[in-house]
Amino acid sequence: MIDIRISNCNKNYGSLRVLKDINLEIERGEFIVLLGPSGCGKSTLLHIVAGLDRLTSGAIEIGGRDVTDVEPKDRDIAMVFQSYALYPTMSVRSNMEFGLRMRGKPMAEIRPLVEEKARMLHIDHLLDRRPSQLSGGQRQRVAIGRALVRDPRVFLFDEPLSNLDAKLRASMRTEIKKLHQSLGTTAIYVTHDQLEAMTLASRMVVMKAGEIQQVGKPEEVYHRPVNLFVADFLGNPGMNFMRGHIRLDGGHISADIGAAILPLDGYAFEAAPADGQAVVVGLRPESIQPISGLTSGGGAFTLTLRPTLIEHTGSDNLVVLAMGDEEIVGKFPTDMLPKLGEPVTVGFDLGRLSLFDAESERRI
Amino acid sequence: MRRFLQRHVSQVALSPSLALIAIFLYGFIAYTAAVSTTNSKAFPRFDNFVGLEQYWRLFHTPRWHVAFTNMFLFGGLFLLITILLGLLIAILIDQRIRAESFFRSIVMYPMAMSFVVTGIIWQWLLNPTLGIEVMVHQLGFTSFRLDWLTNPDTVIWALVVAAFWQGCGLVMALFLAGLRGIDEDIWKAAAVDGIPAWRVYVFIVIPMLAPVFLTVVVLLSLSIVRAFDLVVALTNGGPGVSSDLPSVFMFDMAFRRTNLGLSAASAVVMLGTVLAILIPYLYVETRERA
Ligand SMILES: Nc1ncnc2c1ncn2[C@@H]1O[C@H](COP(=O)(O)OP(=O)(O)OP(=O)(O)O)[C@@H](O)[C@H]1O
Ligand SMILES: [Mg+2]
Repeated sequence: MIDIRISNCNKNYGSLRVLKDINLEIERGEFIVLLGPSGCGKSTLLHIVAGLDRLTSGAIEIGGRDVTDVEPKDRDIAMVFQSYALYPTMSVRSNMEFGLRMRGKPMAEIRPLVEEKARMLHIDHLLDRRPSQLSGGQRQRVAIGRALVRDPRVFLFDEPLSNLDAKLRASMRTEIKKLHQSLGTTAIYVTHDQLEAMTLASRMVVMKAGEIQQVGKPEEVYHRPVNLFVADFLGNPGMNFMRGHIRLDGGHISADIGAAILPLDGYAFEAAPADGQAVVVGLRPESIQPISGLTSGGGAFTLTLRPTLIEHTGSDNLVVLAMGDEEIVGKFPTDMLPKLGEPVTVGFDLGRLSLFDAESERRI
Repeated sequence: MRRFLQRHVSQVALSPSLALIAIFLYGFIAYTAAVSTTNSKAFPRFDNFVGLEQYWRLFHTPRWHVAFTNMFLFGGLFLLITILLGLLIAILIDQRIRAESFFRSIVMYPMAMSFVVTGIIWQWLLNPTLGIEVMVHQLGFTSFRLDWLTNPDTVIWALVVAAFWQGCGLVMALFLAGLRGIDEDIWKAAAVDGIPAWRVYVFIVIPMLAPVFLTVVVLLSLSIVRAFDLVVALTNGGPGVSSDLPSVFMFDMAFRRTNLGLSAASAVVMLGTVLAILIPYLYVETRERA
């Protein structure tokens, strides 16, 4: 069942087109993450779903009802903000109660509800404090609690964790995930943190300059990016890109990247390639490994390359390898580290390869 | 010597002004307090110590009572009206109205004038043969009367209105800055929660402006105690002494009635009043910082 439908949505600020013809359908219970670089219009899209910004053209439906001209309070949504946006002059309890009181719910029902949700979020001992007396993590819990007690049809999150330190962010991320699993409420979550997006999303939406680039499950977007932008935006360290061109000879397809010729017979083409077509080959660092560490399948392809730099990141090691005039990065386990300058045989997992047309930058 | 200078350069740089403040502020406060214990007439003399007699006389002077009561009456009304309307105007301007800067300038303009000019403008406006009364009569409402300046019971309103006209801009500007400083997300959260705008103002935004209120009250209170030029220009204390303020009383005693001792006593009482306002403010301020 479709819970939210965004159709042909445009938003202009004067002559600036912030959202360009956005179309998105969200199933009931999905956790949708909007991901994209700063200024690409994620918050704007979220505000439009919330009704806090008016759209220039298009329509929004929530729960099968056209809410394009409906006030935020009547859209059956709740929102969590990056700055928490708690009411600073009220206690935590009042913060959580206020919205319900405004809706005319009797106090006798509000009290137990607030206390139940507070226990759920481990903030029941903080109910009588002011927001200014709480830590960042506690404030964010209260903000989530305030959204939770409303029991809305849709949760909207605008970068709720970006003001927290790395460790707290990781634990809150897990909690939000658990919360969603137990409640099953539809949610839209804005972030520019890839890790958050990958771990939380049931589907993620990658945006760029007001346009949706790709919608899909995190693995799908990560492994089968539809264009160079998405491929480049996801992953840390980023995908290796190698320029080259297609070779078709005698039923065999391959990509000539100068330093090597990569066989592409196993590649699932989206569009038929042409001989000599200029392409960009994309391969993630974890698909470039020492030969013995490579997970089989997809046909291992090996090359002997010279390591020029080794970076230790803790769990993995990034090895920069010279390939022709270019350099590529591979991820090596600690017990298989090569020596600097001594050529090493590395395997390319071609099953994980992505191929883009050099001109249109689209996946082929 | 050099090391001393290096280490204490800021103290050395500040010391001339500190010395000047010590002499001209605290020195003269002490001097005034000393004069108030003497029987000085036109010139300060210290050979005739009378103890607290001048204070006793001060509190038995009916005119001082009028002046002192007026200060609280005028002050209370002025504070109340200026804060309420200043806040209201700030809230109206905060609604992202069109031509905002135009309205802002209109409200702020009177602030650029001295109290003397304000006093004279309102003297004209309130003059029954020149100002508002004549205008309303010309509109056909001939029974309209505006005799604030000539009626001892209502003359205080003339002061309040003129002082409000002048002070409103500053108060509005302070409140507007406070309102603009409030996180946009609070408004958005309230919109999602379905809280009507007036309730957001009453329960959330205005309580958040508490520090601005404190600043406004202190600024206005100080201007009330100091108010002198406005009274002189607008009513000159009249009719009779009905619109006297302590500052006018003090000036009159010192320079027209050659009663420096009594004048100094009234000055000390005024200082005490100011301190009674300032000390709690400073206390709250420093405690909040700590
Ligand atoms: N009120 C406004 N008036 C004019 N332009 C605006 C306004 N609000 C946002 N924009 C512009 O719209 C674009 C998208 O803004 P938006 O806040 O949606 O970005 P975002 O993707 O949320 O970025 P971030 O990750 O930095 O929060 C930006 O270029 C921004 O400058
Ligand atoms: Mg944003």
